[in-house]
Amino acid sequence: MKIREKIKTFISENSSFIFSVPAILWQVLFLYVPLFLVLYTSFKRSADSALLDITWEHYGALCNSAYFYIIARSAMIAFGVTLLSLVCAYPVAYFLALKVHPHWKNSLLFLLTLPFWTNFLIQIYSWVFVLDYNGLINMALLRCGIINEPLHMINNTYALFFVMLYYYLPFMLMPLYSILEKIQHDLLEASMDLGATHWQTFRRITIPLSMSGIKTGVFLVFVPAFGEFAIPAIIGGSKYMLVGSLVSHYFLVARDNQLGSAFTIVSGVILIVCALLFNWLCSVPVQAAHKEVE
Amino acid sequence: MRRLSSYMMPIIVAALYLFLYIPIFVLIVFSFNDNAFTYSWLGFTSHWYYDLFASVEVWHALKNSLLVAMSSVVLSLTLGSVLIFFGSRASVKRLLVLFYGSLAMPEIVLAVGLLSLFSFFSVSLGAITLIVGHTLLGLGYVVPIVYARFVELDVSLIEASYDLGATKRQTFFSVVLPLLAPALIAAGLLVFIISLDDFIISFFCAGASVQTLPLYIFAVIRTGASPMINALSTLMLLVSSFFVLLFSFLHIKKTRMPQ
Repeated sequence: MKIREKIKTFISENSSFIFSVPAILWQVLFLYVPLFLVLYTSFKRSADSALLDITWEHYGALCNSAYFYIIARSAMIAFGVTLLSLVCAYPVAYFLALKVHPHWKNSLLFLLTLPFWTNFLIQIYSWVFVLDYNGLINMALLRCGIINEPLHMINNTYALFFVMLYYYLPFMLMPLYSILEKIQHDLLEASMDLGATHWQTFRRITIPLSMSGIKTGVFLVFVPAFGEFAIPAIIGGSKYMLVGSLVSHYFLVARDNQLGSAFTIVSGVILIVCALLFNWLCSVPVQAAHKEVE
Repeated sequence: MRRLSSYMMPIIVAALYLFLYIPIFVLIVFSFNDNAFTYSWLGFTSHWYYDLFASVEVWHALKNSLLVAMSSVVLSLTLGSVLIFFGSRASVKRLLVLFYGSLAMPEIVLAVGLLSLFSFFSVSLGAITLIVGHTLLGLGYVVPIVYARFVELDVSLIEASYDLGATKRQTFFSVVLPLLAPALIAAGLLVFIISLDDFIISFFCAGASVQTLPLYIFAVIRTGASPMINALSTLMLLVSSFFVLLFSFLHIKKTRMPQ
């Protein structure tokens, strides 16, 4: 009995510690320990070598232009998708947030969020369905007699790029919309009253005020797009390896965890560098606007 | 110039909506096409839906998906809300950054990390490892959402509960949990959808024994799709639109409450 009571008082006295442990333990054990493990594996000589048999040889093996091209290609595609989705999404988010009649806003937003919540394999599959060699566009064009042979629209980098743009657009739209919606109309009106043109108002008021949304959108698109694995696996474009495909190849097919880990680490470091670069790029226009004001 | 731009904007918006919806629309229409091999229209049929309901594999995958999703929701909500209420405010605020980690890196890195962890300790892959991964994903959403709501709560309500003699446990269950309910439901829905939708972590951490719905769809698409997948997609679209409506309803209710 006494022990039980002791345990009870111990728990009630230290409840803040005891109850916050599980969540933190979960996060550390399944997120940070694995990351460390990947780092460790990348230095391990082979799968069954001794615990401290550490080597740089896997990183040495990665000093090869083939790997460089794979990372560069992934970064270029991710960058292109990010940029194009920003260009496509900004006017739409702007229109929805500032121009649309409130009556229509909720239904338009609902239509916008729906693809976002749809199973992503289905979204990708729907494009396979449309673009395939025997797909809808080819069928239609053949029927109309515009072409004599089906076009190869799938299995190339363009198709990959296009479908990635389709999938990631909502990730850009959502943060842009939510930040643009908070902009007060008074500020824009004040700018116009003070004699600024539409373009000047947009450049000096709207863009700097929405910069945090742009940043969020850029990260939400660029980071997963860089490591994209499922879209290339379905759409094809298998001629060219991407970071995600190669990582999954090492871990699931070749079972070369050491080289795979080293490649993951190198790609991760490059991703972080890209992210920092974006962060810096996004802060430039805001600072420029501040300077102009001064 | 002014006229042009006032026409341009709605056109761009309409084009974007078309871009988003054309493939989905095509997918739905062709789930009723009475033709298994090509895309030409041979007549209306609901035959693929019957096939779908008769398929053992689909039901099995759905059962696995629901099991994993519900376990992850329960686990991440429990762990998250307990941490937020019982942990001291200052330390939770400092620890919050710990939970952003899973959102800040590509999912494939999480998947590779988990796979390395499981293989390092030679844990066999299955439903449990999948739940572990999805709960990790879930915590990344639950903790920030519930924390944001918890900070907005009126501290005097909690203090009043203590003053009236309630223990910490009683306060948690009868004061804090009901107040947090909208945030908990919203976060739970989000985790549920994310778990149902997740492909990458499932692909790495499920092993051969557990097939979830996305894994099933992936396998079928890769081996050459059948209109059954269109039917499945249509049904899943219906379910997700229901969830979006539910979510926006909750959100509207929440934003109207303070007035």
